[in-house]
Amino acid sequence: MILDIVVEAVDLTKDFGKIRALNRLNIKVRSREIFGLIGPNGAGKTTALRVISTLLLPTSGSVKVFGLDAVRDAPEVRKIVAYLPEEAGTYRNLSGWEYLQFMARFNSKDKDEVNEMVKEAAEITGLGERLKDKTKTYSKGMKRRLLVARALMNKPKLAILDEPTSGLDVLHAYHVREIIKRYVQEHGVTVLLSSHNMLEVEHLCDRVALLNKGKIVAEGKPQELKEKFESANLEEVFARVVGLA
Amino acid sequence: MLKGFGNFLVKELKELVRDPKILLGMIILPLIMFPVLGGIMNYSIQSAQEQAQKATLLVLNNDGGNWSEIFINNLTSFVRVFVFNNTTPEQAVTQNLLAEYNATQFIEIPPGFSENVTKRMQGDFSLKASVKFYGVFSGSGMFESIGSSIIDDLVGQFNRVMAPDVVYAEKSAIIKGEIVEGVDPSMLSGLMLSQAIAMPITIMILLSYSMQIAATSVAMEKEEKTLETLLTLPMDRFAILIGKLSGSILVAGIGALAYMVGFNYWMGSFMARIPAGITLDLTSLGLVPSLFGYLLLGISLFVTLLSALALAVIISAFAEDVRSAQSIIGYIYPLIFIPSLALMYLDVNSLPLALRIVIYAIPYSHPIIASKAVIMGDYWTAVLGIVYVAAFTLLVMYAASRLFATEKILTAKLKFKGLRRRGKTPVEELQ
Repeated sequence: MILDIVVEAVDLTKDFGKIRALNRLNIKVRSREIFGLIGPNGAGKTTALRVISTLLLPTSGSVKVFGLDAVRDAPEVRKIVAYLPEEAGTYRNLSGWEYLQFMARFNSKDKDEVNEMVKEAAEITGLGERLKDKTKTYSKGMKRRLLVARALMNKPKLAILDEPTSGLDVLHAYHVREIIKRYVQEHGVTVLLSSHNMLEVEHLCDRVALLNKGKIVAEGKPQELKEKFESANLEEVFARVVGLA
Repeated sequence: MLKGFGNFLVKELKELVRDPKILLGMIILPLIMFPVLGGIMNYSIQSAQEQAQKATLLVLNNDGGNWSEIFINNLTSFVRVFVFNNTTPEQAVTQNLLAEYNATQFIEIPPGFSENVTKRMQGDFSLKASVKFYGVFSGSGMFESIGSSIIDDLVGQFNRVMAPDVVYAEKSAIIKGEIVEGVDPSMLSGLMLSQAIAMPITIMILLSYSMQIAATSVAMEKEEKTLETLLTLPMDRFAILIGKLSGSILVAGIGALAYMVGFNYWMGSFMARIPAGITLDLTSLGLVPSLFGYLLLGISLFVTLLSALALAVIISAFAEDVRSAQSIIGYIYPLIFIPSLALMYLDVNSLPLALRIVIYAIPYSHPIIASKAVIMGDYWTAVLGIVYVAAFTLLVMYAASRLFATEKILTAKLKFKGLRRRGKTPVEELQ
């Protein structure tokens, strides 16, 4: 079976002044899979996702998203990708509903389509009547659910989610993970996500890449990696790969 | 009592004093700005006095008697005088004598002057000898009325030597080349003062307020972490810039309107105290802008506002949060405040060349210069100002659009080398 390549990064390097954040990174994300970039803080996960989502320019190397060059064809890439930053916020004085409407209008000019997207997103959030309230009154968990819903509501071909469950309690994190799984299964969305929570990634992702100091140090299915490195979980795998254990 | 206050205060002071933006904005800038303003004010007062002392006065002697000769001799001891015999004020204006002799005022000694002085000196107190003073009104500033008061001094001087109240001055103004009888130029200056003050203050408030709004709006996107999401949406990045500018202009415009209404009411309360009997209709004197003048003024204000907002957007893109953005915008304020405050009192053309170039080079001076120019029917000054500010605006807009088109909008940060002791580097935050 031939699998479509959704994201292909080749020798991706990103420097910030003298500091090399990404060092010849190579990854391939396949269609309809949940691919996890995992690693400690400062490993380069966010930088990689920002380059793929056209926010940052690579210093060298290339990124292709559905065959489109992330630098040259950035406007086209933005039409098929939804990006959720790790510390994303909302507009304080808009209600949750208004925020979703505002975002949906970038994806469609058709009023019915916009309404459809907003209804879908409203269901994802599970916020009910609270969507009528200004987002400044929301808890962190409520905001995050709103943002995840925003990223998925137009059923993007590729959803790039940076630490989607960051700062959420167990219940909210579970809710967000279920949404992500459902969207991949029901709507064929491909998900590229980052996390430093390796246990979470183990349960959620089809394949993972372990990132350390801007380099991929291991890549594969979670089960394969555990077997290869004779580890009980991905945390142990990571510790072995970087030589901590 | 107030447990922990001392410890907390020390922490607060360290936090505030170590913030280079506060140090520059609150301490160093005022230390520079106010001495500069003071210098300009001193210069303007001094130059106005010097100009008045060195003033050239044309005297139209239509009397030809002894007393007129004595009066002229008295004048020559204080000012440079050129005497013309048998020339009417209208002839002096049409023959362009003022420009020819680089003067802005003349006196007519009317026929019968000597006779009236003689009779008064002989005890007929029902008679007074008058001289007619004509001063050019150019709407140039608060010190324009100095010429008129110098004449009062000269007449007073003469009366002290000869006899109390023997001569008095009837004053008239020359507005746009036309003599307007019975209108004292100094009184006119007083009446125009509201405009001379209102316009610079309105522009000052409008520019600084709208720059704050624009800067806050951009910084808020960063602080609330919404900018990243926005930049990955399928939208034109230039639309973000134009949206920010338009929103700021609309809000600032409403704010300026509210301010102008309030300010006019406030000024109106002063105008209501002008003594009864003084009725000067500025419209009939041609001292309000024409429709075309208003149009030019509107365009001038709009392009200046646009350039200020674009500059604010660029600058605030280098700020990490709202507080930093507002501090950084503070560095632009001297460029708004100095020309605004200086041009309240000064005619830009009376400044030395170097200072004049500086004032003209600051884009924010031009709506104020234009507001004075259009009242006096000098449309070219307003048009040239618009062209200059428009060119500056295009340059700034281009820079702003380039900034929004690249990752710099996300990664740019103003660095204060050496002053910044701690804190994450941009790279640490991005990883």
